Amino acid sequence: MSINRRDLLIGGTAVAAGASVSLPFFEPRYRVVRRPTRSRVAVLHSADYSQNLGEVLFAGLRLFSVDVRGKNVVLKPNLVDYIAGNAINTEPCLVAAAAECFRRLGAKEVAVAEGPGHQRDTQLVLTESGYAPILRDNRIRFVDLNRDELVRVTLEATYTRLKRLWLPRTVVGADFLVSMPKVKTHHWSGVTLSMKNMFGVVPGSRYGWPKNILHWSGIQESILDICATVPIKFVIADAIMAMEGNGPLNGTPRPLGKIVLADDPVAADATCARLMGLEPERVIHIREASKFLGNSSARMIDFAGEAVGSPGEPFKVVPEFEFLRRSAIP
Amino acid sequence: MERLHEESFSPKFDSIRRWPYNSAIVVNGRSLRDLRALLAQRQLPSGGWAAVSASSQPALEPTALACVTLGREFPSVRDRAIQFLLSIQNANGSWPVFEGDEQEGAWTTALVLLALHDGVEAIPQRLKGFGWLVDSAGQESHWLWRWKFRTADRHVRFDPDKFGWPWIPQTNSWVVPTAFSILALDQLPCACGLDAGSSRIELGVEMLLDRACPSGGWNAGNGVVYGVPLAPHPDDTAIALLALRGRRSQDPLVQMSLDWLERVAPALSAPWSLAWSVLALAAHLRPIDSLTQSLRRLADSDQFEDISTLAVTCLALDYQRSLLELGTVL
Repeated sequence: MSINRRDLLIGGTAVAAGASVSLPFFEPRYRVVRRPTRSRVAVLHSADYSQNLGEVLFAGLRLFSVDVRGKNVVLKPNLVDYIAGNAINTEPCLVAAAAECFRRLGAKEVAVAEGPGHQRDTQLVLTESGYAPILRDNRIRFVDLNRDELVRVTLEATYTRLKRLWLPRTVVGADFLVSMPKVKTHHWSGVTLSMKNMFGVVPGSRYGWPKNILHWSGIQESILDICATVPIKFVIADAIMAMEGNGPLNGTPRPLGKIVLADDPVAADATCARLMGLEPERVIHIREASKFLGNSSARMIDFAGEAVGSPGEPFKVVPEFEFLRRSAIP
Repeated sequence: MERLHEESFSPKFDSIRRWPYNSAIVVNGRSLRDLRALLAQRQLPSGGWAAVSASSQPALEPTALACVTLGREFPSVRDRAIQFLLSIQNANGSWPVFEGDEQEGAWTTALVLLALHDGVEAIPQRLKGFGWLVDSAGQESHWLWRWKFRTADRHVRFDPDKFGWPWIPQTNSWVVPTAFSILALDQLPCACGLDAGSSRIELGVEMLLDRACPSGGWNAGNGVVYGVPLAPHPDDTAIALLALRGRRSQDPLVQMSLDWLERVAPALSAPWSLAWSVLALAAHLRPIDSLTQSLRRLADSDQFEDISTLAVTCLALDYQRSLLELGTVL
């Protein structure tokens, strides 16, 4: 069989066309690589919120070489809505304890910042969830991220097609951003931990309540784009009273008695997932983030504090995420 | 007199005042005029208002609400605001969320149309805005998404044939933007050639009724998710009820929602939700005396960092005139 010039031209064109279509699928979808060589996670025990959280937390923070001297620290709790009896929000006393710890460590200013995703009346959520008096008594400034000044930011990953987002100046300008999630299962993303918690930085005034553009762009993809763009410097996860089942709002409270500290959000989320009896590598955004934002493999994490054990029974999840549970692994 | 108030404003405490605007408003702290003066004082040099007092980024929601509430009492302030609103209309007839925002339009368009309702000079730009609003619809209005929500994606219970307005383009319909759009389109001049206006209003009303919570009231957008009824929000409920006034006032769902709002409003601790509740209950001729008393107490102590909250509080304290401005005649 002989190949003439015409065949060669057609074949070459076909290869070029195929490559131009398929190559983007093999290109990295992130512009930053922030994964450390090793990550550090501390699992602290606290049976309930009545113990001396400040001292527990301060002792935990001293396991890390956290240097916040002279820095503006922004604590980003998970404050979504208020439903009596449901463990929806990061407990305010834990947030206050964290603020006090960072002040003791020399922070210039510590602010609590959140943009509730469901409720437009942030003041009502603050009052009903118990935040208002604790913030006032501890003289902690609160920034409503739904109404903060906005800055247009180019996204550092391309998992969504959004390219840019308007983000609050407080978050963009923070020296040291601490994600303080409530450890919960989530009916759209499987889990909601330190990375999913960053949905709260997307301003409702611009994108609505809820921030529906993130749902339309893909929840897992949006988590990755936001976390690539807004670096989480530290994680303090509230797993003292967690939530299982139909989270993030209507699940069932599940006591774990833990606080998870980490200098890497991916390591934090992977550890929290293990504590929930879930497989972190099966959560899309954790698996994908482990390529460039942090370490999910336990071999790459230095643990301090308590051992990371699974609960007797993995956390309940909605049927679509049953595959995340350890018992589902053959 | 107006200039005097703008320049020499200082809150007057423990004073009893009567103003010709609404003689029912007798306040033992800040008077309604004091609150309006505070609002006027926070106008930015551009003519707009920022979302919060610490910001200098003009935003459309507070500007539109301030415009409605300042009315004729502060004519020069209002004129500057109207000029600002007219100057930042997008080429497609919509309005952005804030100055400098992208040009595709947003939920604020409905609020701006309400704010501009009695300005003769604004008629051409209003008509362009109405045109955009009539064409704007939730993404579920597209046949492909309707089919998806009807067949494959059934976790959120709603009828995709009944759609309203989104917060921003390419997202679903939600309660608040739909209610604001109904209120705005209600003021559409009958001879403007936008025949679709009345059918869009009717469809929007159907959408609101479809997405109410099963026991009355409205959450952000849906009543049932994953088989669990969502809890209503006071502000979303109140804004929806304002839009339904005079259309489906006797609908059992509307009556149930009014009953719910009447039950929860006395315990509301945040002026935003309470103010909207006063407006909605007044529009439906429910008693509000004790609620306005509560709102005045909150107004005395609140710092009103949030400009929209200040504007809505003023609207509620002068509810008769405000409802007229919003097109909801008592």
